[in-house]
Amino acid sequence: MLKIERLRKVFGNYHALDGLDMDIPDGALYGFVGPNGAGKTTTIKIVSGLLLPDGGTVEIDGMDALAYPYRLKEKIGYVPDYFGVYDNLKVWEYMEFFASCYGMEGLTARKRSLTLLDQVGLGDKEDFYVDGLSRGMKQRLCLARALLHNPALLVLDEPAAGLDPRTRLEFRETIRELNQQGMTILLSSHLLSDLTELCTDIGIVDAGKMLLTGSVEEIIEKIHTSKPVIISIYKNMETALNLLKEHPLVRSISVKDSEILVQFAGSERQESGLLTELVQSGVQVRGFMREPGSLEAVFMQLTSHEEERVVLSYDADRESGL
Amino acid sequence: MMLIGNPVYKRETMVSSRSFRLALVLLVFNGILALVALLNMYSTLTQVRVTAEIQYSSFMDLYLFVAVLEFIMLVFIMPALTAGSISGERERQTLDLMLSTKMTPAQIVLGKLAASLSTMVLLIISSFPILALVFVYGGVTIKDMGMLLICFGAAALFVGSLGICCSALFGKSTLSTVAAYGVMGAVAVGTYGINQLALFFSRMPNGAYFVSSGAGAAEGTSGGLLYLLLINPTTTFIMTMLRLTGKDQAGGGIIRWFGTHGENFVSRNWVLCSVVLQSALAAGMIWVAVRAVAPGRKGR
Repeated sequence: MLKIERLRKVFGNYHALDGLDMDIPDGALYGFVGPNGAGKTTTIKIVSGLLLPDGGTVEIDGMDALAYPYRLKEKIGYVPDYFGVYDNLKVWEYMEFFASCYGMEGLTARKRSLTLLDQVGLGDKEDFYVDGLSRGMKQRLCLARALLHNPALLVLDEPAAGLDPRTRLEFRETIRELNQQGMTILLSSHLLSDLTELCTDIGIVDAGKMLLTGSVEEIIEKIHTSKPVIISIYKNMETALNLLKEHPLVRSISVKDSEILVQFAGSERQESGLLTELVQSGVQVRGFMREPGSLEAVFMQLTSHEEERVVLSYDADRESGL
Repeated sequence: MMLIGNPVYKRETMVSSRSFRLALVLLVFNGILALVALLNMYSTLTQVRVTAEIQYSSFMDLYLFVAVLEFIMLVFIMPALTAGSISGERERQTLDLMLSTKMTPAQIVLGKLAASLSTMVLLIISSFPILALVFVYGGVTIKDMGMLLICFGAAALFVGSLGICCSALFGKSTLSTVAAYGVMGAVAVGTYGINQLALFFSRMPNGAYFVSSGAGAAEGTSGGLLYLLLINPTTTFIMTMLRLTGKDQAGGGIIRWFGTHGENFVSRNWVLCSVVLQSALAAGMIWVAVRAVAPGRKGR
């Protein structure tokens, strides 16, 4: 559905995007993660046709988005990280205004607006002024607006920012329903736990580059294999170490008392095989577990910057009086 | 998309028609005009009681006075209506939402301008009964009123486009309003001032450094700088009014204010030339506004 290659964007001396690649398959719910200033909003604005890039290509549904920006607006629904509402309009007027921006008029616009307001749970608020809606309602109204023309790709930039947990949960469910109906969704967020549960694919971006991308299963697998296997040995430490040294999937070994930390580049099945081999070679194993990994840990690991560590060490030095 | 079907135009007119502000502006605008017109009539009629003589020129003065007041108010109101239009959308963060739809930047800018001009047209039409007071006494024809209307329309378009242009170029409404009034002031007063300065230098005594030679040197002239006044809507209005009220018996209108100038096509058709030039400038400013609104490489 969306294919981005070598996307570049420079603001003065600042490289907001530095050769970003992204590939979102049809029907995916793609979580776009990155720290502040990583280039998420810039990417989303380029995809939505609100900003021109300095280089690279953007293809939406097989069509060059940069060559045909207006034709592609029919395919994209854009929900920014702010509400963008007219306080002096009623809810139905707001919806009908944007419907007319997509060329819908009269009864068609009215019917479509009401259907979407019902879908996002604002059916009973159509006569309310937008000014009188809560933050969560305004965000749902924005979502309904973005769905007016039934886009093939829905782009959401930090949609849950500033919402209370309950509203966030409801919003998340609405997004999930839309995805289940076949809509491809690009969702930028800081809430990693939400993304892990909600998304089918995830991309981690930093400094304008895609650091890690793939389906959630692939990433979880990568996270899983990046964590060490902790083996507690009751007896025959020597045998265990010899076996591990010879094993082709073992990358590194460190020993602490009776525990061995093994960087094991294998799947869960291969982990089980390793345990069997240890037991069969006479090693008495007291414990065998892989430290659980999380998207947060990977995110922190991938996006940690040298300068941040320098500041931390400087603060630590000051506190210690050095 | 036809202008009448322009979503921005429709929304703007809907919101403004139900707002208290429009009713207040109409009341104040026509209230001031009516007050001035009635006071003028009262003064004329009081004079009649004293002298038993009807000065018909007083009624023409009434027409002139009301028209001048209306022009001044239009020129002051129009930037206020337009200068916050695009920047207001940016401040509300709704401009990007409109640009993410099938609306083109040109439709957004023209919709905004048309909505402001509609308000202006409403003000002008609503003031017609007051201007029409002079019909009671004669001296002003429907054609004269039509000419005045065209003059008002050209000025509103020029000032409105200037306001829209400033609004598109500046991010904040306050800044764009200040810029619109600043540029408007520079055009209205600046072109006049430049011509006065040029005339002053050309009239310096013989032997002074700036004196020029030639037939017109003794009387002085602002030279080619005169044509700068073509972009000044105030000049267009004054020329129109001088013609309509017959106060320009000698011909040449305000051209004579700035020394001796040869007669040519422009001086003979000053109003037409200035309306065409101001309309062209208005089109240029709308184009700049559209370019500023369109998604670009700089972002917002």
